[in-house]
Amino acid sequence: MASFEKASPALKEILLKIYRSENPIEVDHCLHEFGSVEYHIQSSASDPQHIYLSISTPLLSQGILLSYGLPRYTTELLNRTYSDVVELEEPAREGFQLTLRINLGKISKTKDAEKLITKISSVQAIVLSSQLKEMLKNVNSQEVSRGPYRPIKLVYHPREPFFVVKQEASVITIFPIRFKEDSDVIIATSFFQELMDVGSSGAFAKAPPCHWSPIPPLELRGEPIEELSTNGGFISFEISSRHVEGKKLEKMVWSLLNFYAFLKYHVKSTKGFIQRRLRKRLESLVEVLHKASTEEDHIEKAQGRTHKRKLITSSRFRFFRKRFNFKKKMKHFRSKIKIHGLDRFRRRWLRIPTLSSVKRYAKLR
Amino acid sequence: MNRYSTLRSLVRIRQLDLLLPFFSMANPLKLYLNCIRNTLEAAMCLQNFPCQEVERHNKPEVELKTSPELLLNPVLICRNEAEKCLIETSINSLRISLKVKQADELENILAKKFLRFLSMRAEAFQVLRRQPVQGYDISFLITNYHCEDMQKNKLIDFIVQFMEDIDKEISELKLSMSTRGRLVATEFLKQFI
Repeated sequence: MASFEKASPALKEILLKIYRSENPIEVDHCLHEFGSVEYHIQSSASDPQHIYLSISTPLLSQGILLSYGLPRYTTELLNRTYSDVVELEEPAREGFQLTLRINLGKISKTKDAEKLITKISSVQAIVLSSQLKEMLKNVNSQEVSRGPYRPIKLVYHPREPFFVVKQEASVITIFPIRFKEDSDVIIATSFFQELMDVGSSGAFAKAPPCHWSPIPPLELRGEPIEELSTNGGFISFEISSRHVEGKKLEKMVWSLLNFYAFLKYHVKSTKGFIQRRLRKRLESLVEVLHKASTEEDHIEKAQGRTHKRKLITSSRFRFFRKRFNFKKKMKHFRSKIKIHGLDRFRRRWLRIPTLSSVKRYAKLR
Repeated sequence: MNRYSTLRSLVRIRQLDLLLPFFSMANPLKLYLNCIRNTLEAAMCLQNFPCQEVERHNKPEVELKTSPELLLNPVLICRNEAEKCLIETSINSLRISLKVKQADELENILAKKFLRFLSMRAEAFQVLRRQPVQGYDISFLITNYHCEDMQKNKLIDFIVQFMEDIDKEISELKLSMSTRGRLVATEFLKQFI
């Protein structure tokens, strides 16, 4: 998952720029990411020791959206992650859910300043993952009422919601798969088959069991029909307490949040792979056809040409060749040797006397 | 007249080809390709023939079908329902239409992608038609000019190799896609261990 960075690259760049500048600089930037995340960075020359970073992000679950800010466990997690370098401002600035006051003086004292700034730039990932982390942490807790469990809809990306269903001893995450193109659906489906095969093999017995079905699973019974209409089916992961022990929890949360991105990346790169193969095959096929061209064979035999001729000619080249017909022009050009004044010389000295025809009449004077 | 006698002999060859599997368990694809090769060899005796309807026009008669006397009976060679080859011949042109095997959905999209890719680059092939004949996946149009420019047997070799390559490429692509999928799935699940 190296390609899916937690830190926002633009935010990291701005923070590093402020950190590295020798003189205090005035910064007032507004950034938008993924269409729905908004950052506001403010740094003033009058207060060079502090940077104010405000963030507004849609929360994973709309059900627990609080009007006065973020859930308690998110703020606790943020405090724990950033310790004393960053302070949470209460209340957050208007229009934002969270405002962080970053202490530059304390950052410069630490050894890994850049590492710390990268950590600060991944604030959005921390906020988002905190909610799922909280759910997965309570896999074994008995506080949830017994009986039919309602699925919770989580929205990491507006078009790609997924569901988390709490069971007695596990948590099931269900991803409805939707693609615009049919070919994408087929590539993704073959990937799910492989995922199920690999998951059921002995080597991956410790990994959470995954299951793909073209129809909605039983756990989603009662959900609105628009949530259940898919073209790629549903893939679900069953997570039990042993899958979220210690450091595994962090990895699990990040992998689940980025499952859609991972899947899309796989589909896209598979399509690229197919295209590359087709290009190669096209070249080999064209080569066979060009061997069939008799003209080409003759030229090669006569001139003993060693360089390889470009096989695929562009349409522009063909157009020019047709229009100007260079071959004909060259022949025409080569057929006559022009010497300046030769015509006049020939007319004057090399003139063949014309014999008067018998039929021609003499002009009367 | 000569052409008709050749075609008649060709029918005999085809009958022999069809009987061959009963005598030996030869490679069925080879038989199918051999049959196409023989048909093409007989059918590819094209000559220059100007249009009879419009003066100073020279058009492939197999496409326009203006006069029935210039057309020969089309030959349909089927390996099975999903794989067939239609060879239509006229005095100055020859049209070969192929239907490629598509066993499942994955093969179907791979074949579609491949054939669309080739059709989009039809100018590189000269003999490839941009739009396939209805009911087929890909079509070739060979005119008498192509036969003058290229060696006839090499042209037939190209068509046969093209058919072989399509089958090979699709099955290879399918295999490598599932290998790729397996590798990616393994990498994904490795994170949880």
